[in-house]
Amino acid sequence: MEEDALKEDELDDWLIESIKLYSDLHVFELQETTQVIEWTGEKSICVAGSKSGSRNEILELALPQRLYSKQNQGLCPERDFKVVHGGFSDRPISCLKHIRGTRILVSSGPPDSSLQLWQIGADDSDVIKPLHCIHNKEHTKKWSRIATSASGSPCVLHGSEVKDIQVTDLESKKAIYSLDTDNADSVSSLELLSKDEFLLCSGRGHLWLVDMRQPGSLATPCTVLPQGEGLHWCMGIRNRLSESDAASSRVARLSSSGHVLVTDMRDARSPLCQAKLNLSCESSDYNIMTVTWAPAFDDCLAVSGFNGKVHIYNTKSWIPAFTEEEPLFIHKGHAIAEGPDDWRSAVVTTHVWHPWKPRTLLSAATNGSLHVWDWIDQKMES
Amino acid sequence: MPQIQVTPLGAGQDVGRSCILVSIGGKNVMLDCGMHMGYNDDRRFPDFSYITQNSRLTEFLDCVIISHFHLDHCGALPYMSEMVGFDGPIYMTHPTKAICPILLEDYRKITVDKKGETNFFTSQMIKDCMKKVVAVNLLQTVQVDDELEIKAYYAGHVLGAAMFQIKVGLESVVYTGDYNMTPDRHLGAAWIDKCRPDILISESTYATTIRDSKRCRERDFLKKVHETVERGGKVLIPVFALGRAQELCILLETFWDRMNLKAPIYFSTGLTEKANHYYKLFITWTNQKIRKTFVQRNMFEFKHIKAFDRSYADNPGPMVVFATPGMLHAGQSLHIFKKWAGNEKNMVIMPGYCVQGTVGHKILSGQKKLEMEGRQTLEVKMQVEYMSFSAHADAKGIMQLIRMAEPRSVLLVHGEAKKMEFLKQKIEQEFNINCFMPANGETATTVTNPSVPVDIALSLLKREAALGPLPDPKKPRTMHGTLIMKDNQSLRLVAPEQALKELGLSEHQLRFTCRVQVQNPQSEQDTLNTIYSHLKSVLKEHSIQHLPDGTVMVESILIKVSAAAEEPSTKILLVSWSYQDEELGGYLCTLLRKGLPQSTG
Repeated sequence: MEEDALKEDELDDWLIESIKLYSDLHVFELQETTQVIEWTGEKSICVAGSKSGSRNEILELALPQRLYSKQNQGLCPERDFKVVHGGFSDRPISCLKHIRGTRILVSSGPPDSSLQLWQIGADDSDVIKPLHCIHNKEHTKKWSRIATSASGSPCVLHGSEVKDIQVTDLESKKAIYSLDTDNADSVSSLELLSKDEFLLCSGRGHLWLVDMRQPGSLATPCTVLPQGEGLHWCMGIRNRLSESDAASSRVARLSSSGHVLVTDMRDARSPLCQAKLNLSCESSDYNIMTVTWAPAFDDCLAVSGFNGKVHIYNTKSWIPAFTEEEPLFIHKGHAIAEGPDDWRSAVVTTHVWHPWKPRTLLSAATNGSLHVWDWIDQKMES
Repeated sequence: MPQIQVTPLGAGQDVGRSCILVSIGGKNVMLDCGMHMGYNDDRRFPDFSYITQNSRLTEFLDCVIISHFHLDHCGALPYMSEMVGFDGPIYMTHPTKAICPILLEDYRKITVDKKGETNFFTSQMIKDCMKKVVAVNLLQTVQVDDELEIKAYYAGHVLGAAMFQIKVGLESVVYTGDYNMTPDRHLGAAWIDKCRPDILISESTYATTIRDSKRCRERDFLKKVHETVERGGKVLIPVFALGRAQELCILLETFWDRMNLKAPIYFSTGLTEKANHYYKLFITWTNQKIRKTFVQRNMFEFKHIKAFDRSYADNPGPMVVFATPGMLHAGQSLHIFKKWAGNEKNMVIMPGYCVQGTVGHKILSGQKKLEMEGRQTLEVKMQVEYMSFSAHADAKGIMQLIRMAEPRSVLLVHGEAKKMEFLKQKIEQEFNINCFMPANGETATTVTNPSVPVDIALSLLKREAALGPLPDPKKPRTMHGTLIMKDNQSLRLVAPEQALKELGLSEHQLRFTCRVQVQNPQSEQDTLNTIYSHLKSVLKEHSIQHLPDGTVMVESILIKVSAAAEEPSTKILLVSWSYQDEELGGYLCTLLRKGLPQSTG
């Protein structure tokens, strides 16, 4: 009972503190921890269970009115998510992507590199139905990363190791492109920039811009990295402006030791800027490291997966030299969220930005919590 | 087959009101009798014509149960009992009984006085209706009649809310009403024991919602109040007399110091007396923490919240005021609203639903210009905030409740079956039970399989126990006994001898005799010997005796030999057995008909 009282007090303290930190805060508790949050429309997201050895749920949730109304937000009392579609998966879901313009989802997860396709709401029902599987040309025991096209062409880019990366056409279920290389590094992140180009980041941090129109084997990676064996890297792409602008993407690469390199693909030989973030990996799972760019807040980055917090940085002031940088904002809520007893050790599994609200993010953690928060930029306020 | 029938009354898919009919063990129970707030005509009441077209409901219903005081659960009660007609018992918890009439009267005033409606219940009807109410305590088994019993369980959600178990014999149903599985500042979480009802009835909307935490809703309220007060504005919170008002006051009081708020908070006088009454009820129903904090208090006395005086509305500077009535339709809250509406620094926070036609409803629809009495226009520049504080269970909560109660099946009301296939699969797969989703007006029938308890005589038990190890639930064993049912009440299983004695009957014995003809030249005696040896070699597992009186006995079956009168080489065997040895007797006859082995000397 004593512990309960302490926890209640701590939650109340957080409540008071949060009044000054957030203009809006929503805290939800999912039945299962999710490692994915994927937008399936302007007003809906998908989450999915990641437990191994048991059945997992894939849920499509409709946003509460408060989170998508563009005016009169004060007149919307609805603060809850609604489960609009649901389905069951036998395997844990580590990666989930939506094919824009369709009601199709693609997922992957242990124990192998195959992909599963799903149909949301077939026959006007609320079921997310499994369709079929796609296999990489080489079957591995690592789960595949997936990238879908922004323009909504029905194809998917996927791979678990660099050498098995391919683009599969969803209608014919056939591979229409595959990478010619025997590089067996693990794939950490993939991003389809246009129908002809994609960006690839390996677990070791090497970055490639691949043009599918140019045959031939994989070139040497774009930039050279500061060395550090055993480090894991992932990447985040700043919002694609248009198809023709693909090569002008800005890429942020994040290492498990808290190093961030920002590269402009127009001149990928050296980083645009970089920073040493005061973050150490408390979790043993490198796969949940996430770095993303804000779609509606220029030069703003979010980083998570190291602990129970989400860190926001403004890269505008960053310089090419390797310097320590402080965050603009830290979301601590997950470690204080109302959850089971091991809430202190919660680790953030994923985060995404709201497509048009500049400072709103959605984040999830290992204790099943799902938060939606709109942070206040203290620098602007003062 | 015994069955339970559940019919949610109402049309189409509309959610706004609860009224469910249950038929169980020959009894008819109405669960809740809510009003639909969205309609202005008779559609706001449940359609009782489903039960009976013209007459009163008394003979068709054994009782009515009301889960809590929200109008979408009790709003149509006076209409049902006084205008349609029901004179039987209406069950609800003590706080519900105390609060219901107050809310019903408030609502009646708005509908009739303000909007001039005619087909509505009167104040006297509310009073007459409440006279039929029987208040129940939590976890107390209440006998409605010889066969029907009900029990209330704590539901959280609001003061006095309960979940109800309805039981007839060994068949039972649990109705959840509105409940909450997460404790909050004032109320604990719902709780039920492993009562294993045949059906658990709940709302489908819970199962498909993932709720924002209560703390975040409270945070939003505190933040809005804080911001308004910081910029020098005034906050008006129109409330009904009971419920939300007290909750929000406790919230502001709890955080006032920590938030360093300097502005005064007022509570209009009409609220105070009722609040004291509410408070007394509160203490027994609320959770540990509140009891610890407030048991020392002398009723409704707050450090920072003072009684309001009309003149204060004109005071300069920031302040927060709780005023009745809740929908800004009349009285003090409307008076204050008119004074403050023109200033954009001010804010009005509506903590609940407002009925069509009221000022509350208009401003919540976004109206900025209001027509007041005397053709005066009021421009609304103040900030309008609509907040929802209701504590309801959600997807996670309903699974927890199912796990607690272990029902044999689940029934979800107010949902569209096609849109709930996933949910149905989820419940069915997780708990391996059926999930039903009747449409409004549709009846869902569940076939139950109730166990029939029977008293077994000790002597019979001992006899069975002596036969070997006790039967395993997975491997039932048949036993013999006589079932006596007396006066339609008790059922007893006794040994046949005891039954005969009790009933004063004599036992009849049935014996069969079969004549078998065999060809055998031996003497009668020798034929008998041949039969004896033959049977001994064939029927090794049975006891075969050659009796001195000239019969062969196999177990208890007797075989006699006599020569046929006309032909001495034809022997007639008489095989006689009692009906218990039917099988062996028949077998022996068949065997002997095949003939005897020829003796060699």
